[in-house]
Amino acid sequence: MRPSESVRRIGVLIRHNLLLIRGEPGPLLSRMILPLAFLTLLRPLYAAAQGGAAGTEQAVVATLVTFSLLALSISGSAILTERLGRTWDRLRGTALHPAEILVGKAVPVFGALLAQQLLVVGFGVFVLDLRVPHPLLLLGVLLCWSCTLLALGALLGVLVRGLGELSAAYDIGGMLLSSLGGALVPLGELPRWVAVVAPVSPGYWAVHGLRAALVGDARTVAEVCGVLLAVALACGTLAVGRLRGRSGRLVAL
Amino acid sequence: MLTAENLVKRYGPRRVLDGFDLTVAPGEITGLIGHNGAGKTTFVEVVTGLVRPDAGRLRVAGRDALRAGRGVRRLLGVAPQELALYNRVSVRENLRLFAGLAGLSGRRRTVEIARVLDELHLASLADRPVGALSGGQRRRVQAATAMVGSPPLLLLDEPTAGADPETRAALLAAVRTRAEAGAAVLYTTHYLPELVDLDATVALARAGRVIARGTQQELTRGLPGELAVTFDDPAEPELRLPTTDPAADLAALLASGRTPASVDVRRPGLDDLYRSLEAPVAEKDVSGKDVAGQDMEARDAAE
Repeated sequence: MRPSESVRRIGVLIRHNLLLIRGEPGPLLSRMILPLAFLTLLRPLYAAAQGGAAGTEQAVVATLVTFSLLALSISGSAILTERLGRTWDRLRGTALHPAEILVGKAVPVFGALLAQQLLVVGFGVFVLDLRVPHPLLLLGVLLCWSCTLLALGALLGVLVRGLGELSAAYDIGGMLLSSLGGALVPLGELPRWVAVVAPVSPGYWAVHGLRAALVGDARTVAEVCGVLLAVALACGTLAVGRLRGRSGRLVAL
Repeated sequence: MLTAENLVKRYGPRRVLDGFDLTVAPGEITGLIGHNGAGKTTFVEVVTGLVRPDAGRLRVAGRDALRAGRGVRRLLGVAPQELALYNRVSVRENLRLFAGLAGLSGRRRTVEIARVLDELHLASLADRPVGALSGGQRRRVQAATAMVGSPPLLLLDEPTAGADPETRAALLAAVRTRAEAGAAVLYTTHYLPELVDLDATVALARAGRVIARGTQQELTRGLPGELAVTFDDPAEPELRLPTTDPAADLAALLASGRTPASVDVRRPGLDDLYRSLEAPVAEKDVSGKDVAGQDMEARDAAE
């Protein structure tokens, strides 16, 4: 098949998936608005504890990581609703390659995840005077973090059996991973064992990378991006493997 | 257009397809009938590429469908047994998706969608969300998503299940039109009068294989019809005799000295054919062990 056909089919899917997101904007809007309210309320607390600039940085990083982990619901439900509605198999019964289905599904969700993070950073910059001297480094971390979230959400979407399970998973998982990663409370303030286990949380790497990007530490940013992309690859592979194992239906690709 | 040879699919010890053979020619409507668990839906899933058979061959338009899966799936229009639509978006948007995936764009897509909407009496519902429609209307939408783009092979798995008469009539008319235009149609159903209306070739599936295939006349030939006789004497009850030779049986009745008031001969039909499937059959697992009684859920558990 010609690549142009593949691009055209993916374009059809992206358009359709954007339509699905637009058709139910509530979850996306709440994921956009709540972080801004949270950030506004939290910033004075952090500023009092750490000083103005450092407090603002901590508040933005904490909000961004915590709410982007809670936004796993966006990528998780994008897949789960297709499974529950049996439209996933319907798409697989067409000429679409499974990779085309995943790309068509992922692009709008990736856009939503990235938009949420840019909104938080933008709010920090324009309203709270957050300083971003190295925007490209920051963008690099945000892009890699969005990939990780996308894959984590996809894995959730294929593992859970219903919307209730998905809701519990991203609520509990999101708060656990962001807390464990030192997003809400700096690791130095937490018991020592937390700092030891923190690197198992993708949230830890996101916090680490965002802070490094804000101070212009390109080497740490590169290391963090590598870890985040590796996590994304592992989760994405597990998700596809789980789809194969569940139905044995990824045939004749 | 579609040729299946000796397909086998096992779920644990159960053979859901057990040497399944079937052909459907261009322009032909083949009604695939059989009781639940006969393998109809599994066969459709194999053709769709959703289930991989353990053995056998499958060709679509002369191509090996088990190897060239995607190339072959471009030729299919599929309406699965379970409704699988995007409920939050409109009928038109559902059709637009499947038309786009079938390779249509621009004006061709618009014209094709309008044609299918008209064909299935959906034009007035085109801009309503699918979730707001009745069950019968959704059935028509599902069939429309299979037919949009005029695929040369249509797989319709119980497309009228639970449908109202309007839906059934619209669907049957659309299926006839597609077949007249040259499409091969595989139509599974439990509503046998639909196959009479469609003048479909019939394939009987039982325990994972097609046990008979032919025209309705060919398949019902030799099956017993019924001779219904009433008598002048009101004390004598109506007589209903199964018969394969009504003339001979009536002659024998007259020879017995009884005088009929009326005689009605009912020719055998698809209902009789369907009933003939009801005799129990022992299902064998791969080692020959009897597994009768195991239900379809076992296959999910076995996955």
